[in-house]
Amino acid sequence: MKKIILIIAVTVSALTGTAEAQTAKNIVYKVYNRTTPNNGESDMKMTLINKKGSERTRELHQYFIDLGNEEKQIMFFTSPADVKNTAFMNWSYDDVNKNDDQWLYLPALKKVKRISSSNKDNEFMGSDFTYEDMEKRNPERDNQTLLKSEKYNNEEVWVIESTPIDEEQYSKRIIWISKEKNIPLKIEFYDEDKELLKTLIITKISKIKGYWIIEKQEMFNIQENHKTIISLTNLKIDSGISENKFNQRTMTKGL
Amino acid sequence: MKKLTQFILNNSKKVLFFIILGTVFNLYLIKTHFNIETNLEAYMPKDHPAFIYSDKAEEMFDIRDAIMIAINNEKGIYNEETFKKIKSLTKEIQKLEVIENKEDVLSLYTADNIKGSEEGLEIEEFFKRIPKNKEGFVEIRNSVVTNEMVHKRLVSEDEKSTIIFTKIIDNSFSEELYAKIIEITEKYEGDGITIYVAGQPIVEGTMTRLMPQDMKTMFPIVLLLILFVLYFVLRSFKATMISFMVVIFSSIWTFGMMLGLDIAIYGPSSLIPVMLIAIGVADAIHMFSHLQLQKRKHPDWNKEKLIVNMNQEMFSPVAMTSVTTAVGFLSLLTSDIIPIQYFGIFTAYGVMLAMFFSLIFIPAAINTLGLPKTLQKEDKKNLFLTYSKVFANNVVKNRKKVIFGTIAILIFFGFGITKVWINSSMIAQFPDDNPLVITDKFVNDKFLGTTTINVILESDEEGIFKNPEVLELMDKITTEISLDHKVVGGSFSVVDFIKRMNKVLNEDNQNFYKVPDDRDLIAQYFLLYEMSGGSDKLWEVVSDDFKTANLQFQLKSDNSEGINAIISSIEEYRREMSQLNIDMNFAGGGYKVLVFNDLILIGQIKSLAYSFLIVILLLSLMFRSLKIGLIGTIPIFITTIISFGILGWLNIPLQTTTALISSIAIGIGIDYAVHFIDRYKLNANKYKEKSKTVTETMFHSGRAISFNAVVVILGFLVLTLSAFKPNISLGAIVSLNMLTSFVATITVMFVIIYSTNLFFNNKTKQ
Repeated sequence: MKKIILIIAVTVSALTGTAEAQTAKNIVYKVYNRTTPNNGESDMKMTLINKKGSERTRELHQYFIDLGNEEKQIMFFTSPADVKNTAFMNWSYDDVNKNDDQWLYLPALKKVKRISSSNKDNEFMGSDFTYEDMEKRNPERDNQTLLKSEKYNNEEVWVIESTPIDEEQYSKRIIWISKEKNIPLKIEFYDEDKELLKTLIITKISKIKGYWIIEKQEMFNIQENHKTIISLTNLKIDSGISENKFNQRTMTKGL
Repeated sequence: MKKLTQFILNNSKKVLFFIILGTVFNLYLIKTHFNIETNLEAYMPKDHPAFIYSDKAEEMFDIRDAIMIAINNEKGIYNEETFKKIKSLTKEIQKLEVIENKEDVLSLYTADNIKGSEEGLEIEEFFKRIPKNKEGFVEIRNSVVTNEMVHKRLVSEDEKSTIIFTKIIDNSFSEELYAKIIEITEKYEGDGITIYVAGQPIVEGTMTRLMPQDMKTMFPIVLLLILFVLYFVLRSFKATMISFMVVIFSSIWTFGMMLGLDIAIYGPSSLIPVMLIAIGVADAIHMFSHLQLQKRKHPDWNKEKLIVNMNQEMFSPVAMTSVTTAVGFLSLLTSDIIPIQYFGIFTAYGVMLAMFFSLIFIPAAINTLGLPKTLQKEDKKNLFLTYSKVFANNVVKNRKKVIFGTIAILIFFGFGITKVWINSSMIAQFPDDNPLVITDKFVNDKFLGTTTINVILESDEEGIFKNPEVLELMDKITTEISLDHKVVGGSFSVVDFIKRMNKVLNEDNQNFYKVPDDRDLIAQYFLLYEMSGGSDKLWEVVSDDFKTANLQFQLKSDNSEGINAIISSIEEYRREMSQLNIDMNFAGGGYKVLVFNDLILIGQIKSLAYSFLIVILLLSLMFRSLKIGLIGTIPIFITTIISFGILGWLNIPLQTTTALISSIAIGIGIDYAVHFIDRYKLNANKYKEKSKTVTETMFHSGRAISFNAVVVILGFLVLTLSAFKPNISLGAIVSLNMLTSFVATITVMFVIIYSTNLFFNNKTKQ
């Protein structure tokens, strides 16, 4: 009799375990599959704050397009003056095995230089974001566990722990996902030694043309005491930008 | 004085009881408040402009002296076993508690490799995983050798050694940390691999610790020898022990007071017991010597009468010598360095205590324990008397020779002083076979150098360090300085980044290894650097608003002569820099130590001058004659000249401790003169006849002075056996100072007193 009860107990717990994992994956898929703009443009301001508290800002104008299995982005510096019209182009692919392609046009050198992004761990423009931090992540690359459901900034959220299947730059992430918007509101990134490395906090989300758009986000590198704030303004969504714009010739022409 | 002595005699046991009670209380204070300050930063004056500026710059550019761990493999480093060790040692060091950021540990495993690719710039690690085959190592080797920013800096030219730079949290160096690092690195030795640990934090940390530590081992030996020699001259166990107690009590009470006030023991303070031995012993010897002479002269006097006579006749010279000595040490208050001020105050306090114990404890102890034996037989006494008579007569006879001899000596050593140079090198203070010296030499031979000088260039113009002409001037300075000074192993600045990028972005063409002449291009290179994942290492050489830059020179020696020469060469570019609206300053640990030591020396010379003046003044007041004041300082003047002159002639650099102990020349040298003059005056009034005065003084005072000199000289000579160079110099210099003061007092000063008919011209004077 005892044995049978034990077996039932084990089966039940195994079942709920699977169910939980399933729910966690579902939640993450909802985030991954949420609708996002097809194309658009905006001004972008990036503020870098170092450990001494001194700030640097970079202002850019960006264009982007989502082509389904690849995304393209082109950015022109507007400030500071000595890098004005320096252009940056990024092509990223849904294919996990394919690295981003990136180019930088230096007007003083009058040359387009390819930036090798041999991996996505590289920091984006010397900020605390890596390229990967700014992209959607395919849920199949991780194992997810639903830790709890709670209130975060007066919003109902799922708290999910996500551990990569292969060895990657982060040993795990803990993600606070808005139940209403299917958008992460906060992410904690842990390093190889399972120590907290960075915290991402989304500080402003607006609904534009039916999409939830992150307008302001802050990444805080706890280990280096560094902070990056990225904010978007003058957003134009689905304004019909053509794919032809995203090439090296556009980069050299400037804004 | 008579009343006081009477009181002591009536209450001897009570007096002894209270002195012992006080000693126990002070011992308790020492035990409960014991604290040694080993952090060199704590010694530096925080509010000095040079330090304020340097601290600001250190904060701005994260300037910290690094612990350097060199991994050496005679078979070369480009192989699996060495790389495995580089990787896991780097990782293990990164995990130490004193490491704030992983980036603070720089090795071949963590360093950035800035290189060009066909299409652009790549910044990545030299290796992440250990190569599986030879080709992999060949590739890494190529990227190291062709990278000007890493070659010779991280990997030695012979490719047998590589280094791990470890920046620890400020002021976190401790004995435990050093032991821990050694423990870790020892694990990695073997398989033909040896590891060397060096760097300024270790040298400084060990240095501040070593002085009190060495004192702790040497002090008992000094004490033992002093005891032995004391017994030899006093010939009485009782007198020896009582004299010894005077020294011990003064030391305990001094440290009790200092620690009780919550003032930690700093390096200089560890010299206090040594000072008190020399001074305290002098008081006691003079007292006992007098007692023994009187006892022999008046065998009929009883114990009380002898004690009263001793205190009465010795009060004035003991008080005078103590006051002059204490005031001499108080002149150290003019120093900018707080630990030296403490040293001055508490040595002065200890000197006054030694006086107090000599005048109170000695009579009380003699009264309680009975008179010390006088073993000397009559013939021995006569022998000494004969000797002093012969000596005095000879000196008087040859007085012209004495004077000319002295002048010749003064000229000779005075010329030597012009050769004196200052060295604030810390490593030079360790014995040559000390592991620190060996590792330091190894790292300096193989790499760019363990000492860093930071030149901080500053303007109020934002972005000025993107200007080609500014960068070119910086490039010119580093090139010229490195060429002119052999000791400069290398330099590092924002220019190295720009030149490197310019080269790799132009197909690795060596012709482009220069500053480009387009400002926008430079700005865009920096942007490219950041966008390509370049690390924060750039912000250690330039501020992110490009208003301030940090130009680093790595030196193969921390010898002050070399550092000063480089600094004055750099100073020559100040005008050119200011034409570009750029101000120039210096910063960093190496520079601070230099300034610090200069401050100590300047302070030392200043207080030496002050104490001369004060001693002349005090002597003049005590003997009511400026002439005597001047004559009395002759021995210490000669002592000082010879002391510094010898340093010059023997090419021994002036160091912190060497300079500090020159105060003892005054402190003790003056005592001999005071005792001699006081006794001479007493005898002159008593005998009213010169030759009797001379022989009596030479016998009485000369005897005590020579006893004192023998005891202290032998005691301090023991220190020359020490393993720690500053303590060797201390022993040698104190011994030498005692000897010269002693000889000068009984020869040249005596001759001058004799020739000027002092105390005989105007006998009416009391």
